[in-house]
Amino acid sequence: MPGHDRRPRATAAAVTRHAVLILTVFGMLFPMLWALSASFKPGSDVYGASPLPMPATLENYRYALGEFPVARLLLNTFVTAAGVTVLHLAAGLLAAWSFVRFAHRGQRVVLGLVTVALVVPPQALIIPHFLMVARLGQRDTFVGLIVPQLATCALAVLLLREHIRAIPPTLIGAATLDGATHAETLRRVVLPLLRGALGAVAIVVFITTWNEYLWPVLVAPSPEHTTIQVGLQMFETQEGPEHGPLLAAAMLATMPVVAVYFLASRRIADAFLQSGLR
Amino acid sequence: MTSMTSTPPTPLTTGPVAGSPDAAPAPGGVTFDGVVKRYGGQTVLDVARLDVPHRSFTVVVGPSGCGKSTGLRVVAGLETPDSGRVRIGGTDVTDTPPGRRGVSMVFQDFALYPHLTVEQNIAFGLRLEAKHNRRAGPDKAEIAQRVTDACAMLGLAELRRRRPSQLSGGERQRVGLARAIVRRPRVLLLDEPLSALDAQLRQHARAELVRLHRELGNTVILVTHDQLEALSMGTNLVVMNAGRVAQTGVPADVYQRPADTFVATFVGSPTMNLHDVEPRPHPAGGELVGPGIRAVVAGAGLPRRVRLGWRAGDGVLETPTGVSPASERPTDEAPTGPGLTLEGLIDVVEFTGESTVIHCVGPAGGWRASVGSGVAVPAVGERVRLRVEPDKLHLFDTATGLRLADPAGPVAEPVPSLGGVRPDGV
Repeated sequence: MPGHDRRPRATAAAVTRHAVLILTVFGMLFPMLWALSASFKPGSDVYGASPLPMPATLENYRYALGEFPVARLLLNTFVTAAGVTVLHLAAGLLAAWSFVRFAHRGQRVVLGLVTVALVVPPQALIIPHFLMVARLGQRDTFVGLIVPQLATCALAVLLLREHIRAIPPTLIGAATLDGATHAETLRRVVLPLLRGALGAVAIVVFITTWNEYLWPVLVAPSPEHTTIQVGLQMFETQEGPEHGPLLAAAMLATMPVVAVYFLASRRIADAFLQSGLR
Repeated sequence: MTSMTSTPPTPLTTGPVAGSPDAAPAPGGVTFDGVVKRYGGQTVLDVARLDVPHRSFTVVVGPSGCGKSTGLRVVAGLETPDSGRVRIGGTDVTDTPPGRRGVSMVFQDFALYPHLTVEQNIAFGLRLEAKHNRRAGPDKAEIAQRVTDACAMLGLAELRRRRPSQLSGGERQRVGLARAIVRRPRVLLLDEPLSALDAQLRQHARAELVRLHRELGNTVILVTHDQLEALSMGTNLVVMNAGRVAQTGVPADVYQRPADTFVATFVGSPTMNLHDVEPRPHPAGGELVGPGIRAVVAGAGLPRRVRLGWRAGDGVLETPTGVSPASERPTDEAPTGPGLTLEGLIDVVEFTGESTVIHCVGPAGGWRASVGSGVAVPAVGERVRLRVEPDKLHLFDTATGLRLADPAGPVAEPVPSLGGVRPDGV
């Protein structure tokens, strides 16, 4: 804030601005915080108006983990999200590398198609994917759950391509002259330089897959393979909804993703800013 | 063997090349045979024949976009020519992968691996070699020894654990050099290695490179757009223009007997003065006359239009300071003797330290002369007369730009060889 005479007015503006921001953040966080608080409330207190759980109990968590296969569902979700992430990185890296290193005449067309794939909503692919998986006999398997989700790897391809293009070509030339094969250049020179971008792609893909609902509910609805997002509906039992344990399970489903995001949000922002893609 | 032929043939190839063109060159010589490289529809490189002698320090010079860097990348194998063959040490390497040509390169931006330390950068190629060829490749002890030697040679011993981002420009250049020489290449390629350095460091690095070449004793090819580097560093000079080789030879030869007007004006600073003149018969051979310019030369059979060139440093001022134009009268007899006489008014005087460059204007157009710092320089606006000895004159065909027979008479003997380069064929 430069200038002494301006200071009071600037402060007033800042106060107003911050008040608006705080209210907005509170509005967004309130349901989350209420759910978090309620998940620690005993029995029918879940419906109570008290903002804090009094007394706090882990009963809901114990019940959710004991009576429902929540642990198994979390494991399924982790396997699915990790599998999809690894496939995205592998396919994205190889495709991006070949786009940059083995540029050819049809490049523009192929690149255009990849870009189009980015724009196609994944929901539009659900039916063809489902038919393919069903006819291959892969319903209710991890293969059927994971592999079709590779169809959305265009983002990884384009983002990594931008990052590989930013590597000076002389660096690749130096590796080539040092006798490195294509694979060695990729592994020993390109890969270490792409760490930030790969991390960003991994986090985005992991979070997206973790939160995916439509595809798992269709292709793998059984508790052995389905994800936590789908599994939460089990709490709508025939005796009525178990809201306390449901909230506890929902918290368990959300926390890993929130943690990952808080640890890495800076890195994601950097990777997207550097690449010029947004 | 220093020889070159390019299309169209230039008058450089005055005689047959010693030995047949296919005589086995020494192990590190590089030969281009009809090498053509096109990008899109544009031909960026078209070299009918170029021999880089074994153990020479060859400097390739030319304006930007003349194909010199492309040529270097073709030697390295980073670019594949559209036609023609590249030979290193007599072996056709056109289809050999870059890593197996015995060639290493220092890039303009040094291209150090940013995620590796100095010693990891230097050892990178050796480690790969050890991995690819477990039996014949270097073992761990040998790699360590060679990296230590390379570091010692280039004064990097203290910096081995640093990363490229922690190094200055000069240090990075030395790491790039160490990485290139540690693999003991037959041919060391340097792509404008000095352009990223500041002026002071550049002069030091020039001397370092020349010394390094002497110690290594391999073939070095350096690409530059700086004509000073071209003249001062190499034992062999290749001048390129528009994708073609304009001239090759010992730097002093190229400087003293440029093959065409392009080489004449590109090599040397200040650039050569050129004047269009008309030849007339003269008892001594021929008389070249233009507005405000007159020269008598020994050569006969000159074409109808001739471009006359002389270097700024070869002119001798005939009008000392303070002599009024009227008193010049007696010296008017001078033009009858052999050589060039030229008049002009001093327009700009540039003091450069060792010498003074005077820019003059006259009926013959603008021209520049360089006089030693000890010589008193006339003031701006004064009229001066300048003489150039006949053996310092260069004649070119105005139509083709190619060099004509030497104005002083019979063709001069080639300059004695430098650094083991025989200037035969030049």
